[in-house]
Amino acid sequence: MDVSQYLDIFIDETSGHIQSLSDNIMALEKDPENKDTINEIFRAAHSLKGMAGTMGFKRMQHLTHDMENVFQEVRNDNVKVNSALIDILFQCLDAIEGYLETVKGTSNEGTEENEGLINLLNNFLAGGDDAKDAPAAAAESEPKEEPAPQEAASTDSALFKTLNLEAEVVDKLKAANKPLIGMTIHINKECLLKAARAFLVFKAVEDYAEILVYDPSSQDIEDEKFEFDFSIIVATDADVAPMIESVKAVSEIESVDYDKVTADMYEKTEAAPAPEPAAEPQAAAPAAPKPAAPAAPAAKTSGQQAAANVNKPVTSRTIRVDIEKLDALMNQVSELIIAKNSLASVSNGDTGSLNGQQLHEQIEYLERITTNLHESVMKVRMVPIETVVNKFPRMIRDLSRKLSKPMELYMSGEDTELDRTVVDQIGDPLQHLLRNSADHGIEMPDDRRAAGKPEQGNIFLKAFQEGNNVIIEVGDDGAGIDTEKVKAKAIERGIVSAEEAETLTQKEIINFLFMPSFSMAKQITDISGRGVGLDVVKSNIEALGGDVEVKSTLGEGSTFTVRLPLTLAIIQALMVEVRDEKYAIALASILTIENIPVSSIKYVEAKEVIHLRDMVIPIIRLDKLLDSEPKEDDDENMTVVIVKKGDTYGGIVVDNLIGQQEIVIKSLGKCLDNNKIINGATILGDGEVAMILDVNAIV
Amino acid sequence: MSDIAMLDVAEKEKVQYIVVKIGGEQYGIGISNIDNIVRMCPIARVAKAPFHYRGVINLRGEVVPVMSLRRRMGLEDDVFTDASRIIILKLESIGLIGVIVDEVKEVLSLSDDDIEPPTQANKGKTSFINGVGTNGDELISIFEISSIIGDVDA
Repeated sequence: MDVSQYLDIFIDETSGHIQSLSDNIMALEKDPENKDTINEIFRAAHSLKGMAGTMGFKRMQHLTHDMENVFQEVRNDNVKVNSALIDILFQCLDAIEGYLETVKGTSNEGTEENEGLINLLNNFLAGGDDAKDAPAAAAESEPKEEPAPQEAASTDSALFKTLNLEAEVVDKLKAANKPLIGMTIHINKECLLKAARAFLVFKAVEDYAEILVYDPSSQDIEDEKFEFDFSIIVATDADVAPMIESVKAVSEIESVDYDKVTADMYEKTEAAPAPEPAAEPQAAAPAAPKPAAPAAPAAKTSGQQAAANVNKPVTSRTIRVDIEKLDALMNQVSELIIAKNSLASVSNGDTGSLNGQQLHEQIEYLERITTNLHESVMKVRMVPIETVVNKFPRMIRDLSRKLSKPMELYMSGEDTELDRTVVDQIGDPLQHLLRNSADHGIEMPDDRRAAGKPEQGNIFLKAFQEGNNVIIEVGDDGAGIDTEKVKAKAIERGIVSAEEAETLTQKEIINFLFMPSFSMAKQITDISGRGVGLDVVKSNIEALGGDVEVKSTLGEGSTFTVRLPLTLAIIQALMVEVRDEKYAIALASILTIENIPVSSIKYVEAKEVIHLRDMVIPIIRLDKLLDSEPKEDDDENMTVVIVKKGDTYGGIVVDNLIGQQEIVIKSLGKCLDNNKIINGATILGDGEVAMILDVNAIV
Repeated sequence: MSDIAMLDVAEKEKVQYIVVKIGGEQYGIGISNIDNIVRMCPIARVAKAPFHYRGVINLRGEVVPVMSLRRRMGLEDDVFTDASRIIILKLESIGLIGVIVDEVKEVLSLSDDDIEPPTQANKGKTSFINGVGTNGDELISIFEISSIIGDVDA
């Protein structure tokens, strides 16, 4: 059955199920007795298994099947949920996600068996209640097992050992000091489970002797990548006959050819350059099977897979849209057609001359429709940030265990919607901020107790909409930022001199944290502290047209506030004029517009400022900034647009105000986009191009 | 000259060039890179952009950066006339970009053996041409688009 057409659905639904599993397993850990949660988990695992099976992803199916078994036992109250089980389950989820990634890249599940995990699951079941320690111990040994299958997905530990010896295989043959026997085993052509038969043969042989060489490699034999025969070399002191008998006793083995061999025979072939596939496995007889390197072909196949990963992306960027949103869109498009027809009939009117009143009405109607249409299209592009933040509770749980700090993540406003492009890119910065809170923010439990706080640290993530912005706050109730330490570090790094540092405000000091390579971590952990952190967070967020700020109280915690624009494509802007050029300033960043007499300009540190409603606001002369032609005569009054970037204000001096307008942001093109004060252009009604000022950069 | 002789055998295919005038000289731009040729239109200045970028234009609803080839090559600044044109190049690396020329003369087919490698006379200076073609008595310098576009800071 060709199932490729279902691949997209499979990927989509699988990620859904993985997410639901992850959520529910988290819930289960808190409330292990909740039957509803267990049932929900069971259903999700079952659907996963079913889908994997339908798509022919056997390994994935195998893993989910064993997970389902565990849930079955949990549901039947035969097994108690404990954190060791939860750990294993999360590892399984990671593995399934791994499969999904491979499927996304190659439409294939890959060769990762995850045998280690499956064993863990089965051990847990076998251990049941009476061996609670076993799973814990198993969980500890897990990290060692996990990376191993990456390089050679070997499932049998005995074979695995042999693989490791492979590099010095000829030496080993020599060093064996025992008679060597070469064997070629022929399997019945009707045999369905060749790999299983081969495995049984190895088992049988291993009772009598040590297998030194496999041809084809043990990996390929396991994957059934061989015809109907394969060869091995064994070293044994024992009598050959009983061993051969037991090999023959394995069902569906047609015949066994064997003979004595010596290491010298292989040394010659080994010396010859690249003798690899020369030995035909079909060369029946006692023929000397070559010591073909088992690891090399395995490495090759994995290499090929990596290449395939790059070459075969199978998924496109898609978005799920609520059907109601699409219906609204459809309605508005029909209205647009009606409006167009009305306009056409007005212009084709019998009178020959345009009726001003009628035309005006129609244009107003058209305007209303386009505004609605724009809103609807924007809504279609909006997705809740849920998709990104959902993985965070799990992450904090893992960190909590890893760092041995009890902590809890509280999230709110997951349904806050943002433009798809923003949501796609906000994940990493948020993740970094959370890790930062977990690693640096929250203190060790002892310190917390000493400070009179509850042992459990709290991290929160709050998202909400504020005007045309979405605010995401990431905070903790940890130690807060020690500005003295930051200051000392800044002086040590030579960023400021000791004298300068004395005059810095709290905020300026905290801003040092956003400078490249300024890590406060006393020791580098793999969670954070490599000094490539907050500056990357800041630049990522700024690239999305947002900004990030920190508030921190020593001993009480810190809060990072990320401000993001709702959408990237269309904004409300104030159009201003400087000489004969037009510029757009995003309305969202404008506070007020003031008419100020030139005489009221004051100077602070030789910089122009104005004093406005108890605020000292620096003046930004747009014409100077933009290298415009100098003005001939100075007016008595100037128009100042007061803009705001976080807590910082600036007064932008312009020549004229034109008015408010909805503008479509266009990129300046690759060769001009490194501009610091202009972050795009827009095309005005008359076809003229106007630049959009980057308020964040100029204030 | 041996490699040219080889090319002669290898391919006789002719490539079409748009011949343009900048200052007193004629230049050829390979037609495969050209999206479009438009008349001069208002160019919006982009503050703080590199000097040789005159700004951007509105090309049927798209914002397209425009470069002055005269400024790029260090010649006298452009004087726009009725003959001035903006040649819109379409490049895989950066998308659309316009270059201003004094005049568009003709389309010319040249085979590789009509084009000689550029003289090494002005070594050290960045060269914007990768060959000199002949058309009767006239010499036509063939632009190397990538070196015009590349190294914005140069």
